Amino acid sequence: MLAPSGFLMFFVILVPLALAFYISVIDLDQYTIQHWLKAPFVGLQNYVEAINDTSLLHAVRLSVSQALLVSLITMPIGIAAALATQNAFRGRAVVRSVFLVPYILPAFVVATVWRTMMHPQGLLDHVVGSVGIDVGLWLNGPTSFWSLVLVQSWSSWPFYYLLVLAGLQSVDKEVHEASALDGALWWTKLRYVVLPYLRGSILLALVISFLHNVNAFTLPYVLFGVPAPHDVEVLPVLTYVTSFQSFRFGLSAAMAVVSLALVVVPLFLYLRAVRLDSGEDRVRR
Amino acid sequence: MSALIIRPPSLTGGRRRDDDVTRLLPRPLLVTVIVALLLVVLGPVAYMVLASLNSDIGVAAGEIWPREWHPSNYLHVWSTVALGRGLANSLIICGAVAVVCALVSVSAAYVLVRYAFRGRLTVLRGLLGLQSIPGTLMLLPVFVLFASASTLLGIPTIGTRWAVFLTYLTFALPFSTWVMVTYVRGLPRELEEAARIDGASSWRVLTRIIVPLSWPGIVVSAIFAFLLGWNDVLFASVMTNPETRTAAVALQVFGATQETGALPLYGQMMAASLICAVPVVVLYLVFQRYLVGGLTAGGVK
Repeated sequence: MLAPSGFLMFFVILVPLALAFYISVIDLDQYTIQHWLKAPFVGLQNYVEAINDTSLLHAVRLSVSQALLVSLITMPIGIAAALATQNAFRGRAVVRSVFLVPYILPAFVVATVWRTMMHPQGLLDHVVGSVGIDVGLWLNGPTSFWSLVLVQSWSSWPFYYLLVLAGLQSVDKEVHEASALDGALWWTKLRYVVLPYLRGSILLALVISFLHNVNAFTLPYVLFGVPAPHDVEVLPVLTYVTSFQSFRFGLSAAMAVVSLALVVVPLFLYLRAVRLDSGEDRVRR
Repeated sequence: MSALIIRPPSLTGGRRRDDDVTRLLPRPLLVTVIVALLLVVLGPVAYMVLASLNSDIGVAAGEIWPREWHPSNYLHVWSTVALGRGLANSLIICGAVAVVCALVSVSAAYVLVRYAFRGRLTVLRGLLGLQSIPGTLMLLPVFVLFASASTLLGIPTIGTRWAVFLTYLTFALPFSTWVMVTYVRGLPRELEEAARIDGASSWRVLTRIIVPLSWPGIVVSAIFAFLLGWNDVLFASVMTNPETRTAAVALQVFGATQETGALPLYGQMMAASLICAVPVVVLYLVFQRYLVGGLTAGGVK
């Protein structure tokens, strides 16, 4: 019964994965793509060219710093949201549904809406202008990186909220009672009693959030369009453009392999943190 | 990690406890946090609705409340970008992906949970790991493979719905299977064992016991598979042609027309975005109770 999915995953995931590595060491462009099996082998030349002659390293820096910033900025927001909705109050179900909205909206919709809000003299310029700030261009120049961080944060904070909320269920009522008996103030209780319970959830959310953001394609692609401004040409967009606008397939595959390298360490941490087997499972031989 | 297998009953707000003991934040702070976040979340959403009813000039000028109302945006958008065909393509492809993915993943999960075999843990680890493989890494080789299959076998692939269907199905399977694994794991074994004693085959156990008991999990798997396709721009932008374009790609035409220098069709762009977002939001709200558990189970959008 594993066969159908195993078969599919083999042909549409594992074979392409191997092929991606192969393409990265051959000279493949729009002229050789028709007979890609005969394209000349060039060793690591694509990698050398990607590092020396393209903005690959710049793109890697952008992708990593963007993902780290977003993961760190959204952490306190998600934790605060989970703490605030843990206790029952009238309308809590509605609040909880609303909190999930940014996360469930398709990335292409989120990016389209923010793109509209961020055009020159658009809504955001009016809003920040009314408090006397002039940001300049949102979607171009040095500010655009922060625009990307802002929009990415807006759409991804509910993930922390979800995981922290799930983590809060593991805090027993007795713990609350004990800290109340000890007369702990809310801050003390939070810092020394509740947060230690949440450490696992928060760290897991951090790793997954990084994985999710570092290779995000749709949001930057739709938010800034192509060709992307240099300040937001993140790795997935650069890889895509090199393939399907410049038609330098071999070069692009080398970039894509680099993007895989970016997820290796967090992925390793993630797989270690997740319990693959539940203890109760007595597996039949 | 315990957070992964918990399906908290109170996440959807069924239980009501009026306990001061468990309160985590002082009331003023709690109110501030909730109000601030509601504003931050609902601001852009409300703007999307208002802008979809506004004139293009109004949106360009940064109006919040439209001076002139243009509900006609919702009529014109269908002819400007072939949104109807896009939605139909998305529905056909993603609907098929959802159904097939749910069926395949429930049987795969059953095998993974209840049978011991060499490499079982590797498969489980692979299910989680595969989700983090960057889409941009897979796009080019998948494209090359489909193109080669087309020249070798003489059948059209790139630009057809079934090529997109196969691609989405495969990328949806690891996560859906993982969701089903966490679900099937929680089912009581007694029923299966009783059926076994009565001489039921594996297939019978699967179809008569596992599937009927795991409906909520199957629904979650199907919805995630559906959304994976619905939200995708990367693969669809390369693997579809104007005939088979999905809604997400149809929407990108607005961005392209913008480059001609004319005033972008902001109103219709927002209307189209809203139309594409509504099915997703409705699916979530209806199945929220199950979906939240699924989201925390693997943590991928």
